[in-house]
Amino acid sequence: MTAHSYAYRDPILTLNNVSITLNNEQILRDINAQVLDVTRPNMQQGQVVGFYGRSGIGKSVLCRIMAGLVAPGTGTVEVGLAQQPVTPGMVGFVQQRYPLFDHRTLHDNLLVAAQRKHAPADARQHVDAYLERFGLAPHRRKYPALLSGGQRQRAAIAQQLLCSDHLILLDEPFSGLDVAMIDEVKRIIVEVTTMDELNTVIIVSHDIVTTTALADRLWLLGYEHDAAGALVPGATISPQHQYNLAEMGLAWHENVEAEPEFAQFVEHIKQEIRGS
Amino acid sequence: MKSLFAPNAQPARLVFTTMVIGQASILLLLWLFYPMQLFPSLGEVVRSLGDLITTQGLIQELWASMTTAIEALAVATVLALLISYLTALPFFRPIAYAASKMRYLTLTGLTFFMALMVSSGHQVKLSVLIFGATVYLVTGMTSVILTTTQEEMDHARTLGMSEWRSFYEVVVLGKLDEMLEVVRQNFAIIWTMITLVETLYQSEGGIGLLLYKQNRYLHLDGVLAIQLVILATGAAQDYVFVLLRRVFFPYSSLGAA
Repeated sequence: MTAHSYAYRDPILTLNNVSITLNNEQILRDINAQVLDVTRPNMQQGQVVGFYGRSGIGKSVLCRIMAGLVAPGTGTVEVGLAQQPVTPGMVGFVQQRYPLFDHRTLHDNLLVAAQRKHAPADARQHVDAYLERFGLAPHRRKYPALLSGGQRQRAAIAQQLLCSDHLILLDEPFSGLDVAMIDEVKRIIVEVTTMDELNTVIIVSHDIVTTTALADRLWLLGYEHDAAGALVPGATISPQHQYNLAEMGLAWHENVEAEPEFAQFVEHIKQEIRGS
Repeated sequence: MKSLFAPNAQPARLVFTTMVIGQASILLLLWLFYPMQLFPSLGEVVRSLGDLITTQGLIQELWASMTTAIEALAVATVLALLISYLTALPFFRPIAYAASKMRYLTLTGLTFFMALMVSSGHQVKLSVLIFGATVYLVTGMTSVILTTTQEEMDHARTLGMSEWRSFYEVVVLGKLDEMLEVVRQNFAIIWTMITLVETLYQSEGGIGLLLYKQNRYLHLDGVLAIQLVILATGAAQDYVFVLLRRVFFPYSSLGAA
């Protein structure tokens, strides 16, 4: 286990007492989490943070709240160095099935996103650069229906990166992927976080091992019990379920899955999930 | 051959074409050699077709009906698209709902009201057709719009598009190919209506009137000849629509099974 030196700077994303009730059912309760800009000497180091949760616990609702697509019942979500209230478009959001506009070619899909922030000529240049960087240049004239699963995922991430302000949210990015594809997604995430100091990838997933291997901060969504032992409605993040993997010496290791400390930590998380 | 009877099989193109030609030939042979008493023979229908073309101006009447049908379809499509797209605004949803339900109205009584509102017979005919086609198109188009998923809209919103821009990108641009398909499917309704409307307003002629006259004098061979001409015209129109879809929306069939 090697602990890298690092320091924290300004907040990039803040969830402040976020709660939401849908159809009279409390889904999320008093969620507090803050993503800080982590810096490492002599390199650009973005952030990878993970939100774990069992299926059906409200992860997708949390995603939509963080993306500004739905307002929480109470609480706030603030993003960027200016810590502004989130609105749609501020946080890139790659949904589970990697949606793209099926009526546009891959190039046009990226262009429509790039034009939000850049003038037309500039946008084209950005698109070309992203197509190259994500290995999609040979497929630029293809419609999304002709792309493979991996190409589609890369395209969806590139599209969101082209128009979001450094923050990108991935909802279950490893769901239903084979080992090779998972490695590919991991490579993309690392690539994204090293492109810019402020780039932050938020992974919302129930895949403990892969998310832990990539993240430097983790939050575990679960249920709490009251004094009488009854379940309190609404998933939340208990203070003991907030993990700083950088502090634990488990962040930014190339083959962290092979380390015994990693295996122990994953086992601990599993126990916590079973107990919640 | 086996593939022709296997569920969801994809027979070779040659096998499939041979099968279609075979089926059509059997039908034709049956018609040729086993004529039913009430049903006119193939020869009679062909003779009648020739007679209708040379002496009764079938082609001109077909052209007149077809231009009216296309004119009505064009106006109805614009109207139906407008009504359907306006369902984005809750204020207009009852209008689309009412328009959709109006397809249960019969045209016979409606022509009287149309006659009071517009001046010429052609205008009455056109108005009735536009009304009839619009209500069917609105039904189909609103169903297409209702297939829009939250995921699709969220995707546009996360790219920083406003609600109107998201609607334009996902619903208007994204579903234009499906709207064309709705128009194709409902074009047949216009042909069904046109024959009825032309018999109510006979001053302008049309293939509907020709059909009515043949039917009235029990010229079954003539009726069948005209029906076959309408069928062939419809099939040709269908083909044109498929071609348009392929040219303008090449992505449309890419995901099909």
